[in-house]
Amino acid sequence: MEYRKIIEKLEEAALHPSKTVTNTIKSTGKSAIGCFPIYTPEEIIYAAGYVPVGMWGGTTTLQLADKYLQSFCCSIMRSNMEYGMKGAYNMLEAVILPTFCDTLKCICENWKVGVPNIPIIPIVYPQNRTLECGYVYMLDEFKRVKVEIERLSGKKIEEKDIEAAFDIYEEYRVTMREFVEIVADYPQIIKTKSRHLIIKAGQFLDKGEYTKDIKAIIDGLKVEEKQTFKGTKIIATGLMSEPVELLEIFDENQIAIVGDDLAQESRQWRTVTRDDEVDVWNKMTSRVADQRGDTFFYEYMKSRGENLIDMVKEKSADGIVVFMMKFCDPEEYDYPIYKKEVEAAGIPMLYLEIDQQITSYEQLRTRIQSFSEMLISREA
Amino acid sequence: MYLGIDIGSSSSKAVILNEDNEIVGISVKNLGTGTKAYKEVITDVMQQANIEDKDIKYTVVTGYGRITFEDADKQITEITCHATGVGYYLDDVRTIVDIGGQDSKVIKLNEKGQVENFVMNEKCAAGTGRFLEVMARVLGCGLDELSNLATKATKQVAISSVCTVFAESEVISRLSAGESIENVARGSHIAIAKRIMGMCNRVGYTPKVVMTGGVALNADMVQVLSTELGCEIEVLPNCQAIGALGAAILARRTYNKLEA
Repeated sequence: MEYRKIIEKLEEAALHPSKTVTNTIKSTGKSAIGCFPIYTPEEIIYAAGYVPVGMWGGTTTLQLADKYLQSFCCSIMRSNMEYGMKGAYNMLEAVILPTFCDTLKCICENWKVGVPNIPIIPIVYPQNRTLECGYVYMLDEFKRVKVEIERLSGKKIEEKDIEAAFDIYEEYRVTMREFVEIVADYPQIIKTKSRHLIIKAGQFLDKGEYTKDIKAIIDGLKVEEKQTFKGTKIIATGLMSEPVELLEIFDENQIAIVGDDLAQESRQWRTVTRDDEVDVWNKMTSRVADQRGDTFFYEYMKSRGENLIDMVKEKSADGIVVFMMKFCDPEEYDYPIYKKEVEAAGIPMLYLEIDQQITSYEQLRTRIQSFSEMLISREA
Repeated sequence: MYLGIDIGSSSSKAVILNEDNEIVGISVKNLGTGTKAYKEVITDVMQQANIEDKDIKYTVVTGYGRITFEDADKQITEITCHATGVGYYLDDVRTIVDIGGQDSKVIKLNEKGQVENFVMNEKCAAGTGRFLEVMARVLGCGLDELSNLATKATKQVAISSVCTVFAESEVISRLSAGESIENVARGSHIAIAKRIMGMCNRVGYTPKVVMTGGVALNADMVQVLSTELGCEIEVLPNCQAIGALGAAILARRTYNKLEA
């Protein structure tokens, strides 16, 4: 298939998650397990013969979720709870939930009561993940989740299955790192909204098949001529860059995302697996231990600001855009720390407060357009 | 001739500049986007300048209604336009406080008068002109009477809620408890000033500070905000039409750039 057709296919897949997941279940002949954000060990799910499916909320009218998650809770989690209670996730065999924040911790119990038909498997990540005790705990926790999934499927997951699944995911991560690099060189072809949708589609498709599509897009882009981009280039940070209508405003103003620190995007694959690890469980655990600059992993020397500044320099970006999902406590706690560092480095930064139920975009439009005008006037 | 139009949420403004950069037409109507007021201000400035449509070389539209206005050559945000409009009068401004009908903005300028950073109020009406409209209605006075009433205040009455809806209930409670209208009017100004102060701190304000937008016509509000910020705030001539003036200046600049 011509690479532009693949782009269209993936965009469509990301815009209709429910339909896409149903099709994936049908085409692979596998059942699906939902993965709450973020860092769910998808390799274990994949090794067990399930398709891991991302659960990143969506735009829906909140009618039932308020019973458990009030308006001051994370917008993504409210949508997930609503979808669960409305039956939109009924195609899932189970869900796995990492308890990174207070809202996620609460959901674990709320889900059992509110969505009793879909079993929930929690996974607890250690804060002291760089200490040996934290490392050992993480490794044990991955193995506990494996046993829980085995119990669900009634089949043992062999070591070779985990290794094969890890290899597929490793190939996915390497490919995605290459994808975000090359996309930065072709903002005229893959615009901001398209970039996001292509990446998001991977949440609902079999990773093996999806990686092949991304490779085809990369190959297609490589033969295209690089053109001078007249717009502005930014680095995106936060949980996710949705709703997509927001990204349409970026495209209208010729703003390209040339690099990201988004939980839904590059944070999933940017940490490189250690070369010297042989055992697959150690490979998975060390990827957690080696994460840097992530809101959800405790780090004594907060390196997020430094990482963002480095990305701006490396990509010759004009500024940073913060996608602050309402009301993500960990992200909000991080903001004043990196804001100070980014400002000290003289890098313009736009703060956008977003949620998944936005219906009016005019004020956000003014902010985004003003930021673009500000960046252009600085260049002039 | 160059036309700048600012279609705000609660008022429409237009300015015409001539080739010598002089204002030859300026008009303000207190009806905003969704109404026909923009047509009235355009007709008004054309008559003032004694010109016809064909004499307009370039038009820039700004404000909340800029997206739906189709007759302009270019649309630019009110943040850029206010920064440009302020530069018409003063070149040493570092902070602009623009309180409009629906939005409040604090704009930080660099030494060239360019936008260096900005903050806007969040989606609610706290700290905007709409807040004052609601307060005026509850107090049973006109919006233009609030300032005079507030200057007669004898003590500070705290309106603790920043939410316009809750503040309305709070004001009614205050009045029921026997507080004077004058004291409550001042209290509502203080409530806005504290909200704006928070935005100023976020953006990192420095003098010279000017205030634009319709609320700048409220002298007591300006005074209260000056006290809160700890520095004198200047109010420019035609403060309500600064955005439209900026749009006209940008129309002139853009046209000259295209012609060059």
